[in-house]
Amino acid sequence: MPEIILKNVSKRFGKFVAVDDLNLNIESNSFITLLGPSGCGKTTTLRMIAGLETPTEGTISIDGNVVFDADRGINLAPNKRDVGFLFQNYALWPHMTVYQNIAFGLENLKWDKKRIADRVHELLEMLRIGEFEKRYPAELSGGQQQRVAIARTLAPGPKVLFMDEPLSNLDAKLRMEMRTELKRLHRDTDSTFVYVTHDQLEAMTLSTRVCIMEGGLLQQYAPPLEMYNNPANLFVADFMGNPTINFIDGTAQMEGSKATITLGNIQAEFTADKPISLTGKDVVLGVRPEHIHISDAGKREAVVYSTLPTGMETTVKLDAEGIMLTAVVFGDVDYPIDSHVRFDFSKTAVLFDKATGKNVARGALRIK
Amino acid sequence: MQQTQTGKVKFSRIKGRLHAWFSKPANIILLVFLIALTVLTLYPLLSLLMETFTVHMGKEARAAKLPVGAFTWYHFQRVFATRDNNYSWIQFYKPLLNTLAVSVTSSVIAILFGGMVAFLVTRTNLKYKKFVSAVFTFPYIMPSWTLALFWETFFKNVNIGLKTSNGIMASVFGVYMPEWFVYGYFPIALVLGLHYAPFAYILIGGILRNMDANLEEAATILRTPRWRIIWRITLPIVKPAMLSTFLLVFASSMSAYSVPVFLGSPVRYYVLSTTMKELMNTYKGQAYIIVGVMILFGVAILMLNQKVTNSRKQFTTVTGKSGQISKIDLKRANAPIAIILVIILLLVAVVPLVTFALESLIIKAGDYSLGNMTLDFWVGTGLDKRLDQGDSTGILLNPKVWKALGYSLGLAVTCSVIAGTSGILVGYGVAKRRGSRLANWVSSLSFFPYLMPSLAFGAIYLAMSSNITWLHGFLLLALVGSVKYLPFASRSGVNAMLQLSGEIEEAALITGVPWWKRMLRVIFPIQKSSFLSGYLLPMVSCMRELSLFVLIVPTSNTILTTMLMQYSEKGWAQFGNAINLLIIVVVLLVNFTVNKLTGASIDKGVGG
Repeated sequence: MPEIILKNVSKRFGKFVAVDDLNLNIESNSFITLLGPSGCGKTTTLRMIAGLETPTEGTISIDGNVVFDADRGINLAPNKRDVGFLFQNYALWPHMTVYQNIAFGLENLKWDKKRIADRVHELLEMLRIGEFEKRYPAELSGGQQQRVAIARTLAPGPKVLFMDEPLSNLDAKLRMEMRTELKRLHRDTDSTFVYVTHDQLEAMTLSTRVCIMEGGLLQQYAPPLEMYNNPANLFVADFMGNPTINFIDGTAQMEGSKATITLGNIQAEFTADKPISLTGKDVVLGVRPEHIHISDAGKREAVVYSTLPTGMETTVKLDAEGIMLTAVVFGDVDYPIDSHVRFDFSKTAVLFDKATGKNVARGALRIK
Repeated sequence: MQQTQTGKVKFSRIKGRLHAWFSKPANIILLVFLIALTVLTLYPLLSLLMETFTVHMGKEARAAKLPVGAFTWYHFQRVFATRDNNYSWIQFYKPLLNTLAVSVTSSVIAILFGGMVAFLVTRTNLKYKKFVSAVFTFPYIMPSWTLALFWETFFKNVNIGLKTSNGIMASVFGVYMPEWFVYGYFPIALVLGLHYAPFAYILIGGILRNMDANLEEAATILRTPRWRIIWRITLPIVKPAMLSTFLLVFASSMSAYSVPVFLGSPVRYYVLSTTMKELMNTYKGQAYIIVGVMILFGVAILMLNQKVTNSRKQFTTVTGKSGQISKIDLKRANAPIAIILVIILLLVAVVPLVTFALESLIIKAGDYSLGNMTLDFWVGTGLDKRLDQGDSTGILLNPKVWKALGYSLGLAVTCSVIAGTSGILVGYGVAKRRGSRLANWVSSLSFFPYLMPSLAFGAIYLAMSSNITWLHGFLLLALVGSVKYLPFASRSGVNAMLQLSGEIEEAALITGVPWWKRMLRVIFPIQKSSFLSGYLLPMVSCMRELSLFVLIVPTSNTILTTMLMQYSEKGWAQFGNAINLLIIVVVLLVNFTVNKLTGASIDKGVGG
């Protein structure tokens, strides 16, 4: 079973450092997403594992084989790494029909014609594109092209599948649908998926583990829910989740694992799940929107700045005496703008050290 | 009562529609150009057709035994079906076969050479890339006879051709090349192929550069060997560009005149264009029929080209995000390939200039020793007394040369302004009314002059101008030049306009900016370099043009190129070479100055 290990991998383009000393252990059969804003080095990382880009330093091994080692001068060509790659723009060959596109890779493996035809038809069926067999890519819609590209990538049955933002050119509805299918595909093909995206929702919903990067540096590598609930730093906390997390600046007064935190006019008590050590007094409190609770029993009052109801939930922006807060209320509720409501923190919050931006502790928050 | 009312409604509806139609500047532009281009291209074509049935003065009237101006099938009979003395074979079929042979070969050479260099530059880690890509377009910027003249002066010897004198190869190295190498099919095809190789380089290189690298990477991942990727992915995607290049080079080679004149005529190797020129002096009607045949070939090629580029395999070149495609490592082959390429380019682009310079310095032909050299042909005075040929002063002191240079420059600037501006307007109209019949008509008409052999184009306009008293001299030259070079300008104009989304102009329209201001302040600045390229190409082409103007240049005012021809005909080799060098230097200077100052470049309008 293929396991991918990256050790101290760096990539520099001249003076620009695209990926900096990356260590990553991708377990076999996992679905990993490389997540981050554009230019964070995620695509470069993927291309380095696939062999389309040559790292400046480090070693990469796939399934126990060292495919790249800068010191030993090993650099296996991409076609010898037994991987599949799905490109963002599909990269279908315009001069070949759907059938020819899918069969091309199998011809390279010197399969006989009958076997190729069987495999292609199997894939056409699986991806429900059988009727387009004789068409050229230019005659297909975006979603159909996407399916052809997936079929082409899956045809030789690669044990590792790389995907570079494969859904970003599709419309929202189709994207939803393809996500479901990709997850299903992951199970059915029994291979390791490495997936690049800048869409945190995609990373959350699809992967078994998320690798979040910024400025070429690994920020956190964890299962998506853990990352959501216990982000390693301010960047990760901010990047994961929509609507985004509330950051509230404050000062902390320490007493063991308890702290009294002053947030503007609000005094709150934070009970950490482990002993806290801070470099200074300044902290940032991260509170997810669903953990701000609006009810008549709330301890403090705020003014409704705006609301965004979707039917399933409503995002409410509150002005709590100068502190802007985002809250999510589930169900089809709405509040008049500029009306007064009461709110409370419903327990969970993450405490960050303002100076380092690092996660200090997770804990319960209670307004005093 | 009812009826008149509906009549009125109908009328006002039509009026409203007409008003709406004419309120769009694009429609007015297209209409104006439709009329102008019809007059300027279809009318000459029609008059050409008439000429093929008319008896002309001189030999023709005597041979046909018919009065001048009478209707006759005589020309057709002579050109296509006269067996006496193999007349049709010698005057038409053999030159036709020669033309086809030369054109096919030169197209193949252009594609192989230009395409290979394009591939090396865009897809490998070749050394000296900068030099290669900078120098590679030289042969196209320089006049086409440059290489021909160089070939002749370099390889000629007293055993072959006109048997006049030895070139550098024979006199310096003592090597006497065989006739087939110096004159006829082989050198003509080779020189034309090299001259048009930049077409292939620009067209194929453009596709290769814009081609999505992911297409090749996808194949790599699927374990495709390198050669198979090139063969099955890269080549098929470049194929339409290659076919386009083939057809365009074919059309250009077919109508080329100066190269076959220099390298073919001395050994009586004729192609259609040179036969046509000979016939123009004796049997005009037959010459016009040959022109007609050449135009038919051109039209067929244009139609083929359009068919090739409109297929269902649409070659959209959406660029992927991997701009840095892994370049093929040439490894140990890198240095040898690079050096061979640089040597070839030096031979093609730089050595000719050095040769012309040398030839303009030596006093006695064939003697390249320092003692035989002088700067007199450039800056000497009282030459007519010391030498038995040429003008009294070197060309740089000769007022006639300066006058011709001024006239050439004036003509080039005028043609480029008219053709370039028309090109932008045509581009605007065609892009705005994309797909409409009117736009297609104007687009085709504006490309039509490209298919007319220059010499024939000049001849037709000469015939036409004899009926119009005010159309002569500079005005005639400027008109012919502008129309002939419109295809280049309209090509780059249409391309530039198609790249602009309509919203850009609409954003200005909505705030009430008048049309001329939208053009000048919004559209032009955005696509400046493309538009300026549309001006540059006619200018450069005009500066180095010979065959288009040779028949219509007024005797009182020569341009540099016709002056060069006169000197060549008189056998004033040194003056000729000096003027040739002057033309090339001016052309290169104009090209690179404009390129450096504005970013406009000849690549953007080439070929179509």
